[in-house]
Amino acid sequence: MDLSKDLVAASATPIILAILKNRPSYGYAIIRKVQEISKNEIAWTDGMLYPVLHRLEASGFISSFWRTSENGRRRKYYEITNAGIEELLLLKRQWEMVRQALLTLEKEYEGESQDV
Amino acid sequence: MFDLETQIRDWKHHLQEHSSIGYGDLEELESHLRDSIDELVATQLNNEEAFLIAVKRLGDVDSIQREFAKASTEDMWRQLFIPTDNRLATHMNTRELLVVIVLTLFAGLLGKVPSLFGYGDFEAHGAIYARNAAIFAFLPIALYFVWKRSLPVMKSIVALIPFLIASLVVNLYPSFEPHHTAMLSAIHLPIVLLYTLLYFYSGPATGKESGWRSPHNRLNFIRFAGESFIFAVLIGLGGVVLILLTMGTFELVGIDASPFIQNWMAPMGFFGLFTIAAYLVEQKKSLIESIAPVLSRIFTPLFFLVLMGLLIAFASNPQDAYENRMLLIWFDVVLALVLALTLYSMSAKDQVSASTRTIWDAFTFALLIAAILVDLIALAGIVIRVSNYGFTANKSAALGENIILLVNLVLLASGYMKFFRRTSSFQSIVRMQTRFLDVYAVWATVVVMLFPLVFSFT
Repeated sequence: MDLSKDLVAASATPIILAILKNRPSYGYAIIRKVQEISKNEIAWTDGMLYPVLHRLEASGFISSFWRTSENGRRRKYYEITNAGIEELLLLKRQWEMVRQALLTLEKEYEGESQDV
Repeated sequence: MFDLETQIRDWKHHLQEHSSIGYGDLEELESHLRDSIDELVATQLNNEEAFLIAVKRLGDVDSIQREFAKASTEDMWRQLFIPTDNRLATHMNTRELLVVIVLTLFAGLLGKVPSLFGYGDFEAHGAIYARNAAIFAFLPIALYFVWKRSLPVMKSIVALIPFLIASLVVNLYPSFEPHHTAMLSAIHLPIVLLYTLLYFYSGPATGKESGWRSPHNRLNFIRFAGESFIFAVLIGLGGVVLILLTMGTFELVGIDASPFIQNWMAPMGFFGLFTIAAYLVEQKKSLIESIAPVLSRIFTPLFFLVLMGLLIAFASNPQDAYENRMLLIWFDVVLALVLALTLYSMSAKDQVSASTRTIWDAFTFALLIAAILVDLIALAGIVIRVSNYGFTANKSAALGENIILLVNLVLLASGYMKFFRRTSSFQSIVRMQTRFLDVYAVWATVVVMLFPLVFSFT
């Protein structure tokens, strides 16, 4: 099942923040992680991740630093900031709210259909 | 034979040429591409297959570029200093502004360094300030670009070495009467350091035609330098007005503000304004109606007229002209301006119309021909003076400069000629001219470093 473009865009921020909350990471690893946890259902175009990361950094939710890996490759790592952790909590609450709304509606209509 | 490194370099180059993605971002994308390739190769694909898939996964240049454009500050110059409800823009601008303010103060404080060594008096020790001016003014700009483009730290430190050497050379070389070599150093050092700034402006080169070696980036740098200069002059004029006002109003209340102005306001303002100018130009670089094309169009025909006037004046009385050494110096100043103007109009010719031949190209060509004639006259004058009075530091510098200028002007004129005859493209003129910058840099370095030694610091 493919997510719609809008949903991908909306969910990218909480997913990235949640991954970085665990430990600092770099672009390529983040993409792999997303594929792994979603069993390849959520597929981002690789190049799209970076502008999102940069926007998050500009908003102060994450910060970045360069580090050279064992194989000599320079990678830009991102780590979550306190503001980012707060934002993640807020976003999670918002998603939960939407989920609850959908569940409630479902139950309500189930009840109605039994009434009929 | 598929060569992975070449392919990656080409891909990177392509991305750089066709987008406004900065150096740091590009390096991040490259490291991603390489990770991706490594993983694909580990699944039994060969290099070529892995490369193609990895590039495909990264997405096409256009969409990456669009996404980056959204995240970059380049289109946000309009919001400069104006409160905005866009959180991202506010955050980026505040941070950049902070960096710029710190660097400007740094430039101003650099201007105070001579006073640590007891040369605080701006007027009495003017020569010391003149020698170091380029260092004080340009070093903070270099640092600004290290920050702005997130350049690799080690390479940047290496690239800063010319600043160190320059400051050692101009301050430790002795200077004896009549101080000609010291003066030549002061004049030529800005050229050397400007060339170093090119590196910081365009980033390190990964191949022959990328980073600071790419003709495209060099042309952009020329425009950047020209516009920064104009901005600096404008800000400087504002500064002068401010100084006069300060002086006048404080005088009215019976306080003499001139010590403060002389010791702090003027030097700090002067050295800081270059950083501010560079920042403003960098902020508005995506602005289409930039000032370069307008200026070059106004002044190309006017300069042509001035050169023609010079030629006529010279022809009417050649003997007197050669007697007067001031005239030769002014010839050179005019020629340097002509060259700057040509470079400027080249950079103003946008990519879209690069293949069309316009009336402005004809003006530029006419200007070049007139400049070649003027340069030949100047050269003849210098040769006569050298044969009469022998080689001195000043004359050797002038001789070298005029020869280099002549070669440059002839190359440019022949390039334009081929361009009009459609045997070559405008791009090849740009390529030649941007490479020629190396010659100026080398020559200026020779004058700064070796001339004092050769002419025993006189």
